[in-house]
Amino acid sequence: MLQLLRIDLKKLTSYRTFWIICGLYFFTLGMATASGMEFLKWLASLIEGFGQSINIDRIPLYHFPDVWQNLAWSSGLLKIMLGIMVLISITNEYSYRTVRQNIIDGLSRAEFLYSKITTNLLLSLLSMVLVFFVSLVTGLIYSPSLNWHYMFNGIEFFPAYFLEVFAFLSFALMLGIFVQRSGLSIVLLLNSYLIELIIKKNIDDYVPQVIQFFPLESIMNLVPMPFARYAFQEIQDYVSLPAVGIALVWTFLFNYFSYLRLKKADL
Amino acid sequence: METVLSIQDLSKHFGKIKAVNNLKLDVQKGQVFGMLGPNGSGKTTTLGMLMGVTNPTSGKFLWFGEEPTPQLRRKIGAVLEHPIFYPYLSGQKNLELNAMIKQCPVENIPRVLELVELTERKDDKYKTYSLGMKQRLAIASALLNDPTVLILDEPTNGLDPMGIAEIREIIRKIAANGKTIILASHLLDEVQKVCTHFAILKRGNMIYTGPVDDVGKGSETVEVNADVENFNEVLLTFSGTSSVNRENGVYQVTMRDGFHGKELNKFLFEKGIVVNHLVTKKKSLEKQFLEILSEAH
Repeated sequence: MLQLLRIDLKKLTSYRTFWIICGLYFFTLGMATASGMEFLKWLASLIEGFGQSINIDRIPLYHFPDVWQNLAWSSGLLKIMLGIMVLISITNEYSYRTVRQNIIDGLSRAEFLYSKITTNLLLSLLSMVLVFFVSLVTGLIYSPSLNWHYMFNGIEFFPAYFLEVFAFLSFALMLGIFVQRSGLSIVLLLNSYLIELIIKKNIDDYVPQVIQFFPLESIMNLVPMPFARYAFQEIQDYVSLPAVGIALVWTFLFNYFSYLRLKKADL
Repeated sequence: METVLSIQDLSKHFGKIKAVNNLKLDVQKGQVFGMLGPNGSGKTTTLGMLMGVTNPTSGKFLWFGEEPTPQLRRKIGAVLEHPIFYPYLSGQKNLELNAMIKQCPVENIPRVLELVELTERKDDKYKTYSLGMKQRLAIASALLNDPTVLILDEPTNGLDPMGIAEIREIIRKIAANGKTIILASHLLDEVQKVCTHFAILKRGNMIYTGPVDDVGKGSETVEVNADVENFNEVLLTFSGTSSVNRENGVYQVTMRDGFHGKELNKFLFEKGIVVNHLVTKKKSLEKQFLEILSEAH
């Protein structure tokens, strides 16, 4: 398995686009999650311009234990960049026809897919580790007091965030294997949320209970949006196990569909 | 003799089109096996199935008497159609990647680069290579794992005469080492020059197979000329003549079975005619190929 990861990384690490997109992604991820206070200050000055005022110190954005869910959720918005990288990586294999040559040279079709999946795992893991450290450091800086009893409440959002990224990358990989063209697959990826939203809105009145089973919805449900709590609304501040189950099933299916498609194709 | 490849009733249909139809073929160790056929006759489809990228509709094949696996493919060097590499990687890095896939030591790389004379350009990106260099890199990659079988699909396609000569030289070198080579080509001349055995495919069917040395057996053609009037008629009076054609200023005499150039020369000499040109021509593969193709329907 490690050998397969090395093969895929060998392809990527000399590819400039990979460094640009991944560099941009991890830079943005680190910066965006760490600069929340600056964002709040900007928001406060904006509101001040309208003659109102908010006290940003009363919004515990980076306080333990809120910080875990806040940052895990915000970071999830950026995963689309990694998804595009995955699409470029897999559709390149089709446009260069190197997937064919890889098989001729002695990879099995399953091994080829595993090499891509292990890269997805690595990217998801790196995302999780980076966001975890940003959360930890900002939490230590901004929390007014540290209480070991509840400091790590909500740390389970990180495995959930890892699954969120990995499930999404599996979806992107499947899209790339089915569509095979980079431009079209990127457009489809960007529009997939919209397409799912339209379907969800149309069935909302009839069978709302099935909405949670939609693929992208299930990925979104892993780390629920936390910020409504600062407007005194009730939020889900835990990882729901049924949501994890549904997302896991989809993740498995995305990769399994990729496998079936690759297995049947004449390359 | 050891059978390297045994194809048993292999078929591939694309919808109604029978790209390969019940192909049966055996390749023995040490043969340089030419697969001939016009474009679209199923050569590349067959090789694609042998290398695991095209799924057969029915039938099977055995490599070294075993069912095909990815592990077996690593011991077969193959270049199908045009060379395929990552354009943004250097030649060296592309080969390093192939070495990882084939699980062979990277120490093999300098040797194969030397063989195809690409050592000087190894650190340049693949996309900057000329077509001939790309072909040679593909051959280098195929040889990387020191394979016992080499599959080459139109290896000289699109090359200039020098490139063609270079690739042929490389193939001869490899064949001299006792490797089995399967060579698909529509260039008959090429097959005749480098192959020991050949098969002819037409619309997915194999219509002929045999050793290249057998080509030219059967009736002989003698090219002859002399400064004599009505030479044509003189030639026709020879009992061994089957037909006479005038081509490029010389007479092509097709002989009856059992007659050779020697007898014709003797006959003419006895008639008091001294020829200024006499060549016994072996039937070329091209002629035989066209004959076989026109016979098969």
